[in-house]
Amino acid sequence: MTDEEKKPEEPKAAPAAAKPAAAKPEPPPPPTAGPAGQFLKEHGVVTIPMVDSCGCETAEINPADLAAALRLLRSSSEIALDFLVTVSGVDNIDTYDSVYHLQSFSNKNEFVLKVRIKKTDVPEGKLPNVPSIANLWKTANWHERETYDLVGIRYNGHPYPRRILNTWDWDGYPLRRDYKQPVDALNDKNPHSMR
Amino acid sequence: MGNASEIFKFTRLSVIWLCLIFIPVWFVAWGVGIFIPYFLIKDQSNVFFDLFQALVPIISVLVFIPINAMFMVLFERRGLALFTVRSGPNRVGMDGLLQTAADAVKLLFKEDITPRGADIAMFTLAPITFFAPSVFAAIPLLAAVTNDHPLFHIVNLPTGIFYVLAASSVPVVGIVMGGWASNNKYSLVGGLRSAAQAISYEIPLVLSLISISMMAKSLDVVQIANQQAGGILDWNIFGGGALRGIDKFIALNLVGNTIDAKTILDSAYPSGILSYVAAAVLIVCTVIMFALYLTGACAEINRIPFDLPEAESELVSGYNTEYSGIKFAIFFLAEFTNLFIVSSIAVVMFMGGGGNPIPAWLLDPWWPSFSSQVGPMFDLVTAKGLMLVDEHTFFPALWVIVKTYSFVFFAILIRGTLPRFRIDQLMDFGWKRLIPLSLIVFLVMAFARVLVNVHLVMPVGGAP
Amino acid sequence: MAIELKTHSLKTDEMIINMGPQHPATHGVLRLIVNLDGEMVKHVEPVVGHLHRGQEWQGQNRTWFQYQALIDRVDYLSGMFTSWAMARAAEKLDGLVVPERAEWLRIIASEMNRITSHLLWLGTYLIDLGAMFGFPFYPFREREKLFVLLEEIAGQRMMFNYIRIGGVQRDPKPDWFKRAKEFTEDFPDRVDEYEAIVSENPIFLKRTQGVGILPKAVAVDYGVTGPTLRCSGVNYDLRRFKPYSMYDKLEFEVPTFAGDGDTQQRYIARVKEMRESNKIIRQCLDMIQPGDIMAKKQVAGMRIKAGEGFEAVEGPRGVLGCYIISNGSDKPFRFRWRNPSFSNLSVLPELLIGHPIADVMAIFGSIDVIIPDVDR
Repeated sequence: MTDEEKKPEEPKAAPAAAKPAAAKPEPPPPPTAGPAGQFLKEHGVVTIPMVDSCGCETAEINPADLAAALRLLRSSSEIALDFLVTVSGVDNIDTYDSVYHLQSFSNKNEFVLKVRIKKTDVPEGKLPNVPSIANLWKTANWHERETYDLVGIRYNGHPYPRRILNTWDWDGYPLRRDYKQPVDALNDKNPHSMR
Repeated sequence: MGNASEIFKFTRLSVIWLCLIFIPVWFVAWGVGIFIPYFLIKDQSNVFFDLFQALVPIISVLVFIPINAMFMVLFERRGLALFTVRSGPNRVGMDGLLQTAADAVKLLFKEDITPRGADIAMFTLAPITFFAPSVFAAIPLLAAVTNDHPLFHIVNLPTGIFYVLAASSVPVVGIVMGGWASNNKYSLVGGLRSAAQAISYEIPLVLSLISISMMAKSLDVVQIANQQAGGILDWNIFGGGALRGIDKFIALNLVGNTIDAKTILDSAYPSGILSYVAAAVLIVCTVIMFALYLTGACAEINRIPFDLPEAESELVSGYNTEYSGIKFAIFFLAEFTNLFIVSSIAVVMFMGGGGNPIPAWLLDPWWPSFSSQVGPMFDLVTAKGLMLVDEHTFFPALWVIVKTYSFVFFAILIRGTLPRFRIDQLMDFGWKRLIPLSLIVFLVMAFARVLVNVHLVMPVGGAP
Repeated sequence: MAIELKTHSLKTDEMIINMGPQHPATHGVLRLIVNLDGEMVKHVEPVVGHLHRGQEWQGQNRTWFQYQALIDRVDYLSGMFTSWAMARAAEKLDGLVVPERAEWLRIIASEMNRITSHLLWLGTYLIDLGAMFGFPFYPFREREKLFVLLEEIAGQRMMFNYIRIGGVQRDPKPDWFKRAKEFTEDFPDRVDEYEAIVSENPIFLKRTQGVGILPKAVAVDYGVTGPTLRCSGVNYDLRRFKPYSMYDKLEFEVPTFAGDGDTQQRYIARVKEMRESNKIIRQCLDMIQPGDIMAKKQVAGMRIKAGEGFEAVEGPRGVLGCYIISNGSDKPFRFRWRNPSFSNLSVLPELLIGHPIADVMAIFGSIDVIIPDVDR
């Protein structure tokens, strides 16, 4: 019932979000840009619209344009996406995603921006590189550290790129698909270990 | 009353423990001071006769302090539990009676750890330096609280209160030593805070006591306590004896004494209406001084809201962070002993010592032969020949105990209510408020005192 | 002979104090590396992660049904809200419509949980300010009564596992509503009692007024949410801003302060929130109707339709969100928590610099951080 009440509201927030969540399994029509995507397009930033995440406008963006796009979205008065909810990293099947959930303290806009790095583009033994937005948004500082810690996405230009939740000498990135859990990390006999 | 049963249990526990404390102390004092010299040695010229009698004060204090601290810890824990809708320790012994005894045993058997990098000599000396002055400070008060009993007469120094203050300001050295020697930053900060705090709060504390000495024209604690005998109106907290004239006036009017009551008032308040104003001013001043004393004393013994040297939420445990086992126990013991000592100073200096709070003129008509009835009773029960109980000491001591523990209770109540000051606010409060206030009040008292004949001594033949 | 007194150039050594992780006042295992100049804080670095339990990893490696039971541990003081955030995200993915009675029960249980969380904050905050053994235990009396009520409907005192995907776990007995009503009638008097002790206490005011000022711009920049944000002048409460569940049918106020919030305002805001939550519970108890409480069959192999979604609820500490990617199997593909404490804690260095060390815990306590919520 609440969902039914809310459904008329969601298009208001994102009028171009044509698809309600329930109808997703049907063959989707090509996604179109919502208000935020249009706004970015007007200001010369290219985004690739993606399937809405449950009624919330979603778009993919080139890593190089990320900082400019976020700065635009934050400073504009009509979009005013000034609340960076999270920065999350996702180890998808063939890509590493850095996902930015944007909301607003003054209106009901929502926007999900994704930076996708193909796994084939990442050299062996290296981490995927995404530009840091910690200088733009202080929130991003800890969230990017956490994403680096758990998913292993390196944020270029981060002021303090260290692990935050795991210990500083932790091996591997726990939320990666290929992560192997240490057999007995607590009773590690390595004398140089900080654990 | 939802917690009436808890209050009853608390009272029962207090009474049992007070008996547990004072009966052994009483017996030790009697055994060393009377039984051994009079019944075993008998020869008054023997050097041991005097020696044993002279040992009584120190031995009774040494017996008293550990048991008393044990009781006060339990008293505090149960009291706080009472204020905060909890039960408190109620398992060990009968209704938690032996909880602190168990804790004390546990502390004694704990490992005594000296941290790496600590200055071992200082680290060991610190608890002793902290504890020893509280023993010394307690001794001159013994004469005052026992109504100058012959056995405790020798410790009654003419400079009594001065000595007590001097002795009780030494423990801060122990805290700084402990804080510095622990090789721990929290301890260091705690120790330094304690030094700063003690310096700034000692001044109002001393000024408030000096003002009372000024009113009493004496530093002798026994004399100060005796001056306040005769009821609540004579206590130093109410004008430092300025009400003595009114007290006598009422007494004479009730009795219908032949002496003209007006001469009493005139001799007490020589300058007419100006003297009455001065008396009123003195009452206000002494009440303020009493409040200053309580504040300064709280700061002196590091109780909430002035417990910055061991501020738990900032400095883990402050100066005693690194202490364990017996050394920690000594710190703990000394803290509670200090609380007891400042409470007894307050009782002796402000609250009439061993005096009965009910004015004599109110008590005498209703219970005319109070002392003459009770005295023979003691003779009957305790065999006067053994000199076991002396009613001239027993009742003052009882009153002192009741009054002192009400101060302790008050301190617990404060602890259960107030948050802690911040260090800069504490310093501001001390230097900018308390010290100027105490100086001003002291000055006002010095002038007002001239207009009133405080602690009026009746002209010869006048006193009933 | 001129003597130059350069008092301003007197330099003292900075001291580094390591507060925590074993510190009595850090509410768990937070470590603060504090640079001190005398008693003044020059620089702070919070080190978190001592309580990291890999909640997101566990979410990805357990079935939906298994992980539901673990969620309350993310923020152990407001388990209802973590459950609710996850349930809402999953329901949105699955296209479930939650029965009306279940929504009411969710609101009642969650607001009760909000009160318990704020009560615990009140007690521990007073401990942070140094009211060591006194007042802090009063709030626990009320908290205990609420836990008794919550235990009856959820079967657990703190780890409720009550709000499930598709509804709630159990319907309370009719008697329960009566007792809940009694509690709501009694509770405002109890809050008056706390306020009588604390609100006008001169030492409390001295310790809190003008301490730990958080300007609006800084709060927004760090993504601070919850009462802490609302004290800094941003009226952002998801219950009002984007009403979810049945909150649009309820009347309540969101305490907001104009201007920069200090610790005293944060105290006032939380106390007011307790009263408002109590009001909400009372309204819900009047409006709730009999009906169904569960829309999805709770089986071990429960599956959620594929897709991704982010949903948030207004927890006691702020926006508690859950970002789920499902691939249609019985396990989530990616589980991401957005915890209010994590963002709120990151603002701590800004708040502390220039304050004496005694205020470190006073300010840290005032932003109401729960360490398991930070570390997950």
